[in-house]
Amino acid sequence: MRNLSKFLTVWSLPFLVATAGSVRAEEAFVFDVPSMSEEAESAGLEHSYEGPWEYFVGGGVASFDCNGDRMPDLFMAAGTAPSQLFLNRSKVGGALQFEKRALELSQRDQSKVLGVYPVNIDNDAYTDLVLLRLGENIILKGGADCRFTKSNREFSFDGGRAWSTAFAATWEKASSYPTLAFGNYVDRSAPGSPWGTCEANVLARPQKSGEMPNYGEPFTLQPGHCALSVLFTDWNRSGTPALRVTNDRQYYRGGQEQLWRIPQQGSPRQYSRNQGWKPLRIWGMGIAEADLDQDGHPEYALSSMGDTMLQTLDPEAEGERPTYRDDAYAKQMTAHRPYTGTDLKPSTGWHTQFADFNNDARTDLFIAKGNVEAMPDFAAFDPDNLLMGGADGKFYEQGEKAGIALDRRGRGAAVVDFNADGMLDLVVVNRKGPASLFRNRGTRTEWGYRPMGNWVGIELKNGLVNSAGIGAKITVKTGNVTQSRTIQIGGGHASGQLGFVHFGLGVAERAKIRVQWPDGDWSHEYRVFANNFVQIPRGKADALYWYPAPKE
Amino acid sequence: MNRMGLILIAMVVQAGFAAPMAFGEEPVWAERNASIGSVEQLPSGELDKKRLDALLAVGEDLFEAKFTAKDGAGRPAATQAIIPTKARHRPTSSSARLSGPDANGCSACHNDPVVGGAGDFVTNVFVSEGFSNADFDTSDPQFSNERGTNHLFGAGLVELLAREMSADLATLRASALRQSKLQQKPVRIALLSKDVSFGHITALPDGLVDLTEVDGVDTDLVVRPFSQKGVMTSLRQFTVNAMNHHHGMQAVERYGSRWTGEPDFDEDGRANELSAADISALVAWQATLPPPGQKKFTDTAWKEAATQGALVFSDLKCAQCHRPSLPLNSLKFNDPGPFDVAGTLNQDQVETSATYDLGLMEWARKLPRDIQGRALVPLFGDLKRHKMTDRRIAALGNELLSQRFVGRDIFMTSELWGIGSTAPYGHRNDFSSLDEIILAHGGAARSSRDAYEAADANSKSSLIAYLRSL
Repeated sequence: MRNLSKFLTVWSLPFLVATAGSVRAEEAFVFDVPSMSEEAESAGLEHSYEGPWEYFVGGGVASFDCNGDRMPDLFMAAGTAPSQLFLNRSKVGGALQFEKRALELSQRDQSKVLGVYPVNIDNDAYTDLVLLRLGENIILKGGADCRFTKSNREFSFDGGRAWSTAFAATWEKASSYPTLAFGNYVDRSAPGSPWGTCEANVLARPQKSGEMPNYGEPFTLQPGHCALSVLFTDWNRSGTPALRVTNDRQYYRGGQEQLWRIPQQGSPRQYSRNQGWKPLRIWGMGIAEADLDQDGHPEYALSSMGDTMLQTLDPEAEGERPTYRDDAYAKQMTAHRPYTGTDLKPSTGWHTQFADFNNDARTDLFIAKGNVEAMPDFAAFDPDNLLMGGADGKFYEQGEKAGIALDRRGRGAAVVDFNADGMLDLVVVNRKGPASLFRNRGTRTEWGYRPMGNWVGIELKNGLVNSAGIGAKITVKTGNVTQSRTIQIGGGHASGQLGFVHFGLGVAERAKIRVQWPDGDWSHEYRVFANNFVQIPRGKADALYWYPAPKE
Repeated sequence: MNRMGLILIAMVVQAGFAAPMAFGEEPVWAERNASIGSVEQLPSGELDKKRLDALLAVGEDLFEAKFTAKDGAGRPAATQAIIPTKARHRPTSSSARLSGPDANGCSACHNDPVVGGAGDFVTNVFVSEGFSNADFDTSDPQFSNERGTNHLFGAGLVELLAREMSADLATLRASALRQSKLQQKPVRIALLSKDVSFGHITALPDGLVDLTEVDGVDTDLVVRPFSQKGVMTSLRQFTVNAMNHHHGMQAVERYGSRWTGEPDFDEDGRANELSAADISALVAWQATLPPPGQKKFTDTAWKEAATQGALVFSDLKCAQCHRPSLPLNSLKFNDPGPFDVAGTLNQDQVETSATYDLGLMEWARKLPRDIQGRALVPLFGDLKRHKMTDRRIAALGNELLSQRFVGRDIFMTSELWGIGSTAPYGHRNDFSSLDEIILAHGGAARSSRDAYEAADANSKSSLIAYLRSL
């Protein structure tokens, strides 16, 4: 009997192998990879981020709608060169097209701009802009037909004289206007600069009275550790966002990453080691937030020189303590060196952004990459990353196949659907230019391009105050899959965006949406059909659909 | 060449070259359906009658096939959900009467009075989303909606009508948006297609559309003509769904690696079970099924009653929803079609769709035409959903679960063509007579139902005779 079973085992082995072979082994990444076609020149987007040492960092872009057509326009920081405004003239599903619009600003105010974020500060019908500058920061009040007016005086806002490199905004509870956080870099006037001379950061809360926002009494967030990205984030689901700061270890002494508690009443305080905060020292360049495991606690991708970090709340930490561990290696998203070419030196990461590029309902990660200037210990050819989410929760580099592996020095960026076709496009600000503008064509086939998964674009209408719903959490459910995004202004690298929030839906043709509004209230369930842009007006029973102007 | 000959050729080709074989060359008696994979290229372009017939032969064979484990039947690791979903528990048996897989082939249920037809109560299926509670073993309506099996005759015409109506509604929406932008004020328009009203929309100057007054169609204004509920866009979508749900035969275009990362998502040891071309063959066969004809009675009394019944049908305003016919502009059936979305192959996912000219079919010549030359499709329906219950008449409100955003007591108007030979009736197949199902009409059909109840016996009888002629 024993011999028989041995015989059977040997005899049947080839058949077992053959059976297994009938199911082909999964290739590393079998999902759609978007074909990103670079169209900056043909689109009329001529731009370069220029300047000496102070502009090794920065290089931001704001994507937002300034003329009411809901098509995302672009304001691009250009360093020592004048900033540029580009109006989106793209047709639905067509080639990207932008028209440069002159800014009615002084030469001084247009230049020395490192970063730019869109936010509607005064709750009117127009999005405003916050310019991060070498010197005075500027609030540009948006007006009709993409006109902008410097409004520092009107908003009692002191732009200061610092070298500002980071920004975030949030509406604290019961506040009519946003609280603004400014991250500053090196204090160049301090003795010994630049080493160990990081400038303090600033928190500008609006004063309670007045019909216009008044930022006359800013609070200094001391110590500063040369911030390159700040983000208001509800890390512990408390309903009161804290301020996450990523800092550049290149210049600080004794510094580290920071998380500031921002209580509704009283002064901000930095989380300490005693409270669970573990010191982390990186060349922090950009922050991106996503709740990858849908546990309600967001993860943070932090770009750096060398390894990208994925900070995830340590489940073994006691209570709700801000103790994070790094999950980047396990998730295959360290992106620590170029994925193509022969240069094996460490990478330099800047703008980070989670998004679903192929609409498969799995989150992907974009990282803008580029040598600081000519740092010999870091890769000179350092292409941007497109880390595509796999079914196993890991990330797979597809930048080269997607066509974004260019020899440019990336800085800020925005992942946005510029031509309203439901597929996310990409603009990247490159140091010493030219800017990259990638149109997502879908997947390349033998006969052309085919669209990828289903999607939905969501716009919130929160009411008269904070109409865009900054701080709201949108949850989209398809089958057993739940995805969420929090609407945030901040993070990335010197770049922000406002507009439809994009979700890939995979093969789902319907989606259920719930919104947790910034004040914590939950909406009822909105039911929408895939491949539509929808607006969810707070308190209304039904979503409205939005349709872009068709091709002429 | 007759159809059988084509089948034989397909089988020979299949047996010789085309089969994806687990154990190398298989004998012809292997327990696999040779028609699977026999169409090697996805059909494209307009098919002439010869090519169409060859495709239909394979489609018919697939529709009548009894799928086996070697074909890939069964889905031990997947639920019946239309979004690929892994089962939480592996089933103890390969089939399950309630949650499925519940049949070995399409024709196991669609066979009354002939293959492609409806099914008796015994063929009822249990529709659930398949996300949670996917492996229920009770007919308790809190877990699933029990539905009868519809016939498929004339299904191609139905889908073509729905496509034209969807296109009409999209055109109306675009027109309203243009007007609103031009006039810089809200523009409210009626959604009317083929004389069927789907309510109103209000377009706003900034491109937003208020959909609160939409009636009987989904908010994306796509007319979904299939299923009792009117929630399936196309024969293709329905086929992909049903193949997984009822047979555990998973179509690559939704359950394949592109979307799931696995060639064998249901983990039954068989990869890539149904190709896009297999699905195309099934769609082609269903789309070209002839529409049910109207009986020509030889019995004089029955004939006279049916004639009288047609007038009663009109007098009682049954035809308000059960429209005797809807006009169809084109008999060209494109597959993949225009309104499916990712997960079901659509026209944007292929280089060129196949076109099946239904006008090539013998039955198409008998379709009546209006003065504009449009085919009049005698479906006795309006492809619109209606609320079918009210406070007093609620027999059709027996379901507890809404389906795909459609309320539990809202159903698509049943097309009455073929009703004379596809008893029993109702979405649960639990009304044995026409009289019973008429009296079960509440809600939007209440006035007609009441008029029927109040009618004299002769009128009622005549109406029944007329309906039995359909």
